[in-house]
Amino acid sequence: MMAGSALRRLMAEYKQLTLNPPEGIIAGPVNEENFFEWEALIAGPEGTCFEGGIFPAKLLFPPDYPLSPPKMQFVCEMFHPNIYADGRVCISILHAPGDDPTGYECSAERWSPVQSVEKILLSVVSMLAEPNDESGANVDAAKLWREDREQFNKIAKRLVRKTLGLPPAE
Amino acid sequence: MKMKAVVATVITVALTSVVIGNAYYQKKQFYPSVVYLTNSNPSMAVMYLQAFILVLLMGKILRKIFFGQLRPAEFEHLIERSWYAITETCLAFTVFRDDFNPKFIALFTLLLFLKAFHWLAEDRVDYMERSPVIGLLFHVRILSLLTLLAQSDMYFIHHAYLFTATKGPSVQLVFGFEYSILIIMIVNILIKYVLHAIDSRWEAPWESKAAVLLYTELAINFLKVLLYVGFVAVMVRIYTLPLFAFRPMYETMRSFKKAYNDVVLSRRAIRNMNTLYPDATADELAAADNECIICREEMHSGAKKLPCNHIFHAACLRLWFQRQQTCPTCRLNVLRAPAPEQANANAPAPHANAPHANAPNANAPAPPPPTAPVPPPFPNMPPPPMMGWGMPPPPPPRPASLATLSVEELQRLEGTERRHIEARLQLLHEIQAMLNASVLLMQQYSNVVSNLPLNCSNVATQTEIHRTEPSPEPSPVRVKTDPDVVPTTSTYKPTAGPSTSTDYTFDPNDPTLDSNRDQSDADAEELRRRRLQKFKEIHSDK
Ligand SMILES: [Zn+2]
Ligand SMILES: [Zn+2]
Repeated sequence: MMAGSALRRLMAEYKQLTLNPPEGIIAGPVNEENFFEWEALIAGPEGTCFEGGIFPAKLLFPPDYPLSPPKMQFVCEMFHPNIYADGRVCISILHAPGDDPTGYECSAERWSPVQSVEKILLSVVSMLAEPNDESGANVDAAKLWREDREQFNKIAKRLVRKTLGLPPAE
Repeated sequence: MKMKAVVATVITVALTSVVIGNAYYQKKQFYPSVVYLTNSNPSMAVMYLQAFILVLLMGKILRKIFFGQLRPAEFEHLIERSWYAITETCLAFTVFRDDFNPKFIALFTLLLFLKAFHWLAEDRVDYMERSPVIGLLFHVRILSLLTLLAQSDMYFIHHAYLFTATKGPSVQLVFGFEYSILIIMIVNILIKYVLHAIDSRWEAPWESKAAVLLYTELAINFLKVLLYVGFVAVMVRIYTLPLFAFRPMYETMRSFKKAYNDVVLSRRAIRNMNTLYPDATADELAAADNECIICREEMHSGAKKLPCNHIFHAACLRLWFQRQQTCPTCRLNVLRAPAPEQANANAPAPHANAPHANAPNANAPAPPPPTAPVPPPFPNMPPPPMMGWGMPPPPPPRPASLATLSVEELQRLEGTERRHIEARLQLLHEIQAMLNASVLLMQQYSNVVSNLPLNCSNVATQTEIHRTEPSPEPSPVRVKTDPDVVPTTSTYKPTAGPSTSTDYTFDPNDPTLDSNRDQSDADAEELRRRRLQKFKEIHSDK
């Protein structure tokens, strides 16, 4: 059951995402041989300091997907309160209820088979727009976000230019 | 990376040749050269380095033979586990500092080396489930590797046993123990391999596989716990507390406990599903678009309806219940939910089409993203934790709700023996829910938050069930620190137990979902549209 079902569901989600892509998001398997490793491109939400950036990330799906959540990791440099230094994303939709690394997340937002790749990516977009500075994935970023927004925006702008392959000028 | 490895290898080989050449040049003969080499510390250092590089090279070759290219995930996993193992080995050195010599280090290196192959084999077999095609080569590789590893494990266990039996306790105890753990691991991998292999042969889904895996996990973890406890006991008697074994022991115990809980709870939930929950009717299936939200495939038959009226494949539910005993859509805790038959028996008219109203929700957009831009909801209210106490007090006295019962309902309560007992059970359930809610509130209040969210949602669903009409509660409480239980408890309107247990109409997520969506839909739509435009521009630029 598990293998086939996970594969079929991932294929279905991929099809759905290709036919009906949510705006600002592109996602799909790295290669069609392995549907359990995806890459995604996320456009920084407009009106935020990440505006204009295109942020690449990878998603790793467990064999029992969708019963367990995938893992998501940005593969570009990121500076954000909810993203670890190595790019791993820390949001509640990616945590199964029960394992709660931060202790404040409501289980209504946690992973369940109702969620999907699309919902994860949309959550990540809104996380980019509205960091949650209570989660301590990146303490420095959280502190800067709270106390020195200008500096935070500056760093974000630099990263945006970096993802686009532009020099950090301006 | 590759370049560096090649350079390092070349340099060490060159160094070794220089050292050996030098020795031979000075002593001219084989044995004197060897003596010269072993007596010279710098030379020996070079030799050890060479040995280390050779071991690494050997590892690379064996890895190529048995695994081919490692996937990045496997590599990361390997590095992570190696770090732990190395740290623990260093800790072990402190216990056995008397035995500390090159042979000892060599044995530990070998152990680490073999461990790494066990880990890789485990990862590879786990990967079987995900990989769409498994060739003959894969089977040959895994089976020969497992045989080889099992043999070497057995050999070292045997060796450790003989050594300890003849020469008394020594560091060999650790090796014997470590290799015993490894052989258990081999058994576990082999079982998984066989299960996955059978599964991949079968076209039809094999439903009991997950259950078999669950029980295997339980048994294997039990064995491991026994081994660890035995080992620690022996070590404490002979040496000292084996600190280096604590982390793996703790993890084993934790996974044993988890496996045990999984088995017990999932058995209960699955039994409930088989005996209590009704099969979904054709109408109900149609109302849910025939789609099972777990596998996103069509439901024809064999679909079950949970107490909350959500419908899923029985097979999918069984797999989910082996992980969690909640409704995937609304997170109702099915172990705490009352039995659904009563619901059917007494369905009140206004909610007759409850399943229809609710079913589309299964396909509705996600609960708002965790960081959804909802402003703090209580501008002029006490901070969130106070809510429960500031609002009408939680669950009121029974008499009040009894008074709201119609005569008929009261009679029903008094009626047949069975109903009577069911009603009592129902009340007890509710009391339990209330107590849980208040405990949770207190916990929330004192900022003890571990595990809270899970429980709070369960209670929320539980109490929500008994509302008879949509709550006018305006605030979409969707802030991280604010569990659903707060608003729900405050609007708690208890009614008669059995007679209203059908009202599973109100998904606790609904009010939030709607207001959230309303508020941001228009903006978000516009934002998203523009973003895509931009996105496309960027792409065409590239
Ligand atoms: Zn299904
Ligand atoms: Zn439900």
